[in-house]
Amino acid sequence: MNSIGPLTLLTALPIAGAVLVLILKRAQKLSRAVAIVIAVAALLATLVLWARFDSAAPGMQFQEVHTWAPSVGLTYHVGVDGLGILLLVLSAVVVLMSLAASWRNASHGPVYFALVLLLEAGLFGTFTALNFLHWFIFWELTLLPAFFLVRLWGGPQRGRASVQFFFYTMVGSVALLLAFLALYLATGTYDFTTLAQMAQNGGLAAALQQNLHWGGWSGGHIALILFWAVFLGFAVKTPVVPFHGWLPDTYSEASSETTMLLTGAMSKMGIFGFLRILLPIFPAQMQEMLTPLLWLAVASIVLPAFAAWRQKDLKRTFAYSSVNHLGYCVLGVCVAAKLTGVDPSLAIEKSAALTGVLLQIFSHGLTAAALFWFVALLERRSGGLRGLEDFGGLRKIVPVFCGLMGIAIFASLGLPGLNGFPAEFLIFKGAFPLAGWAATAALLGLLLTAVFLLGILQKVFFGPLGKGQLETKTDTNSSSLPAAMRDLSTTERFALAPAIALMFVLGLYPQLIAGKMAGTVTQWTTPATSATEAYKTTAPKHNAARLEAASGAWLIHRKAQAGKAQVAD
Amino acid sequence: MNGSMTVLRILPEIIFTLTGVAIMLIDPVMPKQASRKPLGWLAAFGALAALIASLYQYSLPVGTAYFGVVQTDAFSVFFHVLISGIILVSALVVLDAVHPDTESLGELFALMSFGAVGMLLMTSGVELLLVFIGLEISSISTYILAGFRRKTAKSPESALKYFLLGSFATAFFLYGIALTYGATGTTRITDIAAGLATSHALPIAVVGLAFIVIGLAFKVSAAPFHLWTPDVYEGAPSPIVGLMSTAPKAAAFAVLLRIAYEAFPQLQNHWMPLLWILAAVSMTIGNLGALRQKNVKRMLAYSSIAHAGYLLVAFTVLSTDGVAAASFYAVAYAVMNVGIFAVISHAGGYEDRLTLIEDYKGLAYRSPLLGGVMAFFLLSLIGIPFTGGFFGKFYVFAAAIHSGMIWLAIIGLLNSGIAVFYYLRVLTATYTKPMDSSPVLNVPRVSAPLCLAMALTVAVTLVLGIIPGRVLSMARHAAETFPVFSTQQTPVPGTASAVMAAINTKAR
Amino acid sequence: MVPVSYYLILSAILFSIGVGAFLIKRNIITIFMSIELMLNAVNLSFVAFANYWNQINHQFSGQIFVFFVMVVAAAEAAVGLAIIIALFRTRKTLNVDQVDLMKL
Repeated sequence: MNSIGPLTLLTALPIAGAVLVLILKRAQKLSRAVAIVIAVAALLATLVLWARFDSAAPGMQFQEVHTWAPSVGLTYHVGVDGLGILLLVLSAVVVLMSLAASWRNASHGPVYFALVLLLEAGLFGTFTALNFLHWFIFWELTLLPAFFLVRLWGGPQRGRASVQFFFYTMVGSVALLLAFLALYLATGTYDFTTLAQMAQNGGLAAALQQNLHWGGWSGGHIALILFWAVFLGFAVKTPVVPFHGWLPDTYSEASSETTMLLTGAMSKMGIFGFLRILLPIFPAQMQEMLTPLLWLAVASIVLPAFAAWRQKDLKRTFAYSSVNHLGYCVLGVCVAAKLTGVDPSLAIEKSAALTGVLLQIFSHGLTAAALFWFVALLERRSGGLRGLEDFGGLRKIVPVFCGLMGIAIFASLGLPGLNGFPAEFLIFKGAFPLAGWAATAALLGLLLTAVFLLGILQKVFFGPLGKGQLETKTDTNSSSLPAAMRDLSTTERFALAPAIALMFVLGLYPQLIAGKMAGTVTQWTTPATSATEAYKTTAPKHNAARLEAASGAWLIHRKAQAGKAQVAD
Repeated sequence: MNGSMTVLRILPEIIFTLTGVAIMLIDPVMPKQASRKPLGWLAAFGALAALIASLYQYSLPVGTAYFGVVQTDAFSVFFHVLISGIILVSALVVLDAVHPDTESLGELFALMSFGAVGMLLMTSGVELLLVFIGLEISSISTYILAGFRRKTAKSPESALKYFLLGSFATAFFLYGIALTYGATGTTRITDIAAGLATSHALPIAVVGLAFIVIGLAFKVSAAPFHLWTPDVYEGAPSPIVGLMSTAPKAAAFAVLLRIAYEAFPQLQNHWMPLLWILAAVSMTIGNLGALRQKNVKRMLAYSSIAHAGYLLVAFTVLSTDGVAAASFYAVAYAVMNVGIFAVISHAGGYEDRLTLIEDYKGLAYRSPLLGGVMAFFLLSLIGIPFTGGFFGKFYVFAAAIHSGMIWLAIIGLLNSGIAVFYYLRVLTATYTKPMDSSPVLNVPRVSAPLCLAMALTVAVTLVLGIIPGRVLSMARHAAETFPVFSTQQTPVPGTASAVMAAINTKAR
Repeated sequence: MVPVSYYLILSAILFSIGVGAFLIKRNIITIFMSIELMLNAVNLSFVAFANYWNQINHQFSGQIFVFFVMVVAAAEAAVGLAIIIALFRTRKTLNVDQVDLMKL
């Protein structure tokens, strides 16, 4: 395994693209085109990997190992499982969407495009790394382009917002690094897979007990402290509610094209951490801390929904809505951690919840990116206005825009037939039997989401015309109102069409993703027993069948839920 | 030992001395109006030759020369390479920043070379007398360099403060040596440990050690002995600040390491808490102080106090890991600091046109190259991956946690969080669109020596950040020269066998 | 014969006076003199210790140290006075309180 593998090439592609874009800086148009071509190539490459990914096999695929700096335990180890490949595709999709959205934005020069490509490389690196240090380097590295993207192209408060963003994430990273240093000292490895194995057979707590003498604490206590430190790192990035302070400012001050990246791809780094690190390496701690974790998850679902309701600014609304949607992911991960003993029926629920989380990752990435794309389009037409009060009656002037944005909004609130529904449904299906109270409380969030999203529809699309259009009118000096705001151009329609189509496809045929994830989900839900060997041979097929059943079950329930959702309408 | 070998042991020092003497001799015979820049190139080539000579010293067997006062081992050679490299880059930066007709430019280059001799002797001296003389040679040269713009108001003030507090610290250092000599009967670093074992006057030795630490703490500007640093850095010419914030400090740290680990290993329980406090206080005061600075050089002065703190964290780790981390950090810090001062010297010039953070607004738009390099070094100072700053901090804190210094590591990491703010403030300024009145608008063209200096520092920072293995193993090798560590076998961490060995010993 | 501790106590007193004067005095020349006092206090210690060790094991390297300290102090004085003159030329004062262009 010493040759350069596909994942390394994939990560190198955007870096090379960024360099090329910078070289061609003088030729603005050409460099932008190059950036788009690179993004398309990256997407195609991830799709090829997706196609060649063996959905039934558990464990990592396309693995690659090189020595890097062995004296500090740093090895170059990449590989993807279902989660990894899903996030690779999602990053490529979101980056392409963001670049396409920036195409017409004159203020976004070649440097912007280069930074986005660098960010893409960082994301690819993060989602494929299997050694903590290697992973951490990329995790931190995504922060740089993101910081500059917020800092250089944003609203008037962008300076403060970018520093806030950088600082919050740094604090989280520091906690992460400390925890992993301690883990390394105890176990001598940074390898995720090895650490997960040690956690499974109880070796981790023993090693912590033996090798760290922290004031006479037991291994379990140390593991708990480490767990919270790691949790903090991911909670800031995702974000989970008390740690979300940076998000509203950053999302609303960054240019909308950047926010697409932040919410569509970068927020997934936190969820990735939950699934790749917390769940496999700290399962016992998650079980022990399940109740507070569920509280946090519910808070992340309900409170931001309230906050979103009260916002007067489209971007802030969608920012809070983003926290709310990722809250479902956290909920799904938490319930999947619940200790269920050997009850086989609940394993199905866990599979459902985890499949739901994976679907939600992709679905939220797609929907949120699309929503901010629409905001970007709206901002460009209204001269930067994006307050809810500024608009009204858009449906009459720009019907196509409203139609497509309406679809995205409905996808976001989980209308059956669109991508949000199967994801959230599966999460709730898993959550109800495993943690009923939390799921019930979270339903409130679902309801509130519907309320504020429909509120947006009502205020912006219907009703009297608002200031946004009028101002544009005075700008352009046109006489008639409908001409003040242009509807989507043909290019824009073509650019948006694939994203909207994908929402329908995933809404109607979630198996497209769920099927690929089968092996990974099975591996996650396999009970942690000492007889892991026995499971390895029998479990996959067995559980895959269960998963089929689980994901089939929601189809039956769909009609009932569809009725509920329509009531919310 | 034969004579040629003896000379080889101080080859870099000899090269620097000859360079300095040559510059002093050529300078007066040059025509009055002639540019003194060739002398700068001579100094740079001297530094390059010394760098090569230092690298060559790696091939020498460990040993002493000149009645056992100089010792070449992996530790001293490691710092020889570092200091020679700093002088090389600094000479290039000075060449770029000064006007060819600056007054007594020749002496400036000569003083740099002579100062380097002192610093090199500090790192290779194993006799406190030689260390003291080296310290004085380097200090006196830097006092003069700090006051080199003597027609301005700030520069002599800076030199005076540096001189008075530096001499004050020297007196403490010297008194410490005297007391140590009284307690042990020897001034050879390598014999002190043995002398201590039989000494009847341990309290005197403890006081002596404390005075030595205080004296050196002044030199490395560790809080609470840091008060001179911001003023001196603000007033001294920028290219010189790049030099004096790194090379003399690296040398002083080397002396501190050698004295602590080679002379006073028995008194670990006394100096370790002392350094613990120095580290914690330096990090905190440095970072909090930097937060409220408006002047870039003062901010970097406080940041250098904080970095001294991070480096001292590694001192409290009583193992090869600690010494290796400290040595590695010294390299990483020195390279990025010299690098950022290269940019500041060029943008602000020898006359210090840009002083406030505000003044740097738009640097990146005016000169993308300078702005980019500045951003790169700021990010390295923050400790972003793929830069030397990241691995420097990483090794230090990893070593601290390894030895159970959890609180110190947490204090340090919180501090590096605070540090993000003020570094980002400068970074933000450089990437803000300039106003028409912005002083940054007339940044001079980037010259060849500056390009060379920036290329060197950026390259080394990247190497330290991406493939740190080689430098780290050199640092580790350097650490192993101390006899304290040769008895206890510390296997290379990261290998499975090392972990198993650790587990086994602890289980027993 | 006077015991070695007497010399050491005298040396410690002189050193302390030097430190005190350094901190209290406001005239730069006086401050500079207090540094010289500290160095000479150290010299006294060196000589006393050298005498003590000479009686035990004929180790008197402390005396050599004294010569070097004297030489170095002279060099330092030369540079220090030069700096003081440069300062006086631009500021016309020798009071440290007025040398405060850069706040501490």
